[in-house]
Amino acid sequence: MKHFLLSSAALFLFKTMGAQVTLSNGKHVLEISGSISTYYNDRQLKAGEEDQSKNRFKLRDAELNLEGRVGSDYEYELKADFADMAANNSGQEIDPENPGLMQATVKYKGFRFLEVEMGYGKVYYSRSSMHPFSFSPYWQRAELVRGSIFSRRDVGVTLMKNFWKQRANIYLGAYTGLGELSLAGDNDPSGQLEYIGRFDMAYPSRYRYRDIDDRITPIPMFAIGLNARYMNKQLPAGEFFPDNAAGEYGLKVIDGKRYVYGMDASFQYMGFSGQFEIHQMKIEPQNDNDPLFVNLTPKQTKGYVLSGGYIAQANYFIKNWKTIVSARYEELDLNDLVPGNSQRFSSALAYQLSGYNAMIKFQYFNILKEESLDPLKWDEQFRIGMQFLFK
Amino acid sequence: MKYKLLFLGVCFSISLSGQTQKTVRIKPFKSIATAIPEPSDSCFDKKTNHFFVVSDNGVLFETDHDGIILRQKAETNCDYEAVYVNDDFVYAVDETHRNIHIYDRNTLECSKIINVPYSGGRNSGYEALTFNPVKQSWLLFTEKNPVTLFELDAQFVITNQIALSALARDISAATFNEGFLWLLSDEDRTVFKLDPKTYQCIARWELPLINPEGLAFDAEGKLLISCDDMQRMYYFNNPEKP
Repeated sequence: MKHFLLSSAALFLFKTMGAQVTLSNGKHVLEISGSISTYYNDRQLKAGEEDQSKNRFKLRDAELNLEGRVGSDYEYELKADFADMAANNSGQEIDPENPGLMQATVKYKGFRFLEVEMGYGKVYYSRSSMHPFSFSPYWQRAELVRGSIFSRRDVGVTLMKNFWKQRANIYLGAYTGLGELSLAGDNDPSGQLEYIGRFDMAYPSRYRYRDIDDRITPIPMFAIGLNARYMNKQLPAGEFFPDNAAGEYGLKVIDGKRYVYGMDASFQYMGFSGQFEIHQMKIEPQNDNDPLFVNLTPKQTKGYVLSGGYIAQANYFIKNWKTIVSARYEELDLNDLVPGNSQRFSSALAYQLSGYNAMIKFQYFNILKEESLDPLKWDEQFRIGMQFLFK
Repeated sequence: MKYKLLFLGVCFSISLSGQTQKTVRIKPFKSIATAIPEPSDSCFDKKTNHFFVVSDNGVLFETDHDGIILRQKAETNCDYEAVYVNDDFVYAVDETHRNIHIYDRNTLECSKIINVPYSGGRNSGYEALTFNPVKQSWLLFTEKNPVTLFELDAQFVITNQIALSALARDISAATFNEGFLWLLSDEDRTVFKLDPKTYQCIARWELPLINPEGLAFDAEGKLLISCDDMQRMYYFNNPEKP
């Protein structure tokens, strides 16, 4: 029934709007856009592994995006991905990188000295997380920033301000703290929120959250960002977090305090661009027998766990060939109390049939080293497909 | 080995295929920081030797050669992306609402607002406006997705449209100088000179600037480019008379 209603609404919308992608009544301007992307995935399993279910075509995106302005004071964005909704309804676990509802926010600009955004959407933490997927040659973000370690979206309120000719931005926000699961409604039994702050600065001009220098920038451009987030979700005795709230690695929410600090840097010049990003998490579970302490004594753990990693990425846009080449290296340590870390390499090649609007993308994944906490059944993967944006 | 050479040869051919004309790189001889936030287009007023400049937040400015603001007029709920001046009026184009605001050039009072409907993306609407004296028609250009040149009559009714996506990834400004149409592409950082009858490209010049959005020629034929993100105005010698 839900699908029927959604399909009917979409059909009605398209029928009534004809070929228009922007509607206006003089005060209210509404823009309709979206994307469809599909890829084929081929996974190279380790010896002895036999589950080949990841060798398949996948509809990654079937997005519809409504963006609007009402007068000069209000902006809103409503973005949904029908492919993810269908997957979630079929009983699959929610992919934090593709949760279904992608954005439902209203921004109020009437205060002039700052803007206020409320609703559900990307939180202002991590440049790589905020970078729009459609401008990337990759099919998947780095593991560190794809929502398995810390949430990428949440319900809450953000205050934002830019200054110095838009070269500097500051964001301060409070959110439920359950990330993508916050849409379920209630908070966890602790009732506490997560607080996030970010500051970034660019030179010599403002620097959008883009990885590829498709304008062949003739003057070197740099940007640096610092961000942090904090939550204290100490559960009352006998209470638990909602199912899957802690995420794949048990780090997204923890029974105790969690501090996350991150730094990112980016540059671009003459088609070359590079990004570096590092995150460190300090976790202080309230109970000595928390699984994150991996059965070590308080004397051994000193009452906290460290987790984190970094990403380094280099890109080149070959304008005459309409082609992006990119390589990415990532290191991740899920728990410093467990020896070892993981190392991943990925490269991407994207050919623009029509700019970013129609792009063939190829990504190669290679697990160079894996962590004992996160054993994988595969070590190489290939993904090729096409993204199509309509607007 | 034979196939690799063949592949490289094909790639090289593809890379050359889009460059039928030589692109010359030019450098500015002077730049001015301006107090105008996000200047998105400029035009030259022959009567006063001043410039009119519009900004993304809906303000029309009149400046001197040094970018000093002489007059300004603000509108609410506007995103001006193009400006044109003639003997009597200043025309400012609101990209978001597809409106042309017509100002009395002496008083800067807005006398009329004309809507020219366009159903493309909100931020890919009209980005450039000029008058073609050869064909006696107004020219409006959409920024991208796709780049389209619209010819309009004196009442701003569209009479013809020409696809220009093959010329550039986007168009951010347009003007006429010495009988030819000149266009500016922000994403390609390139100025184009076009035949005013056929709209065929005659020559092109590459600019070493970040986010160039405005294009004008002054009385001496010097080229003025305004840059949105940098909030600067750059002077170039006339590219045809370096």
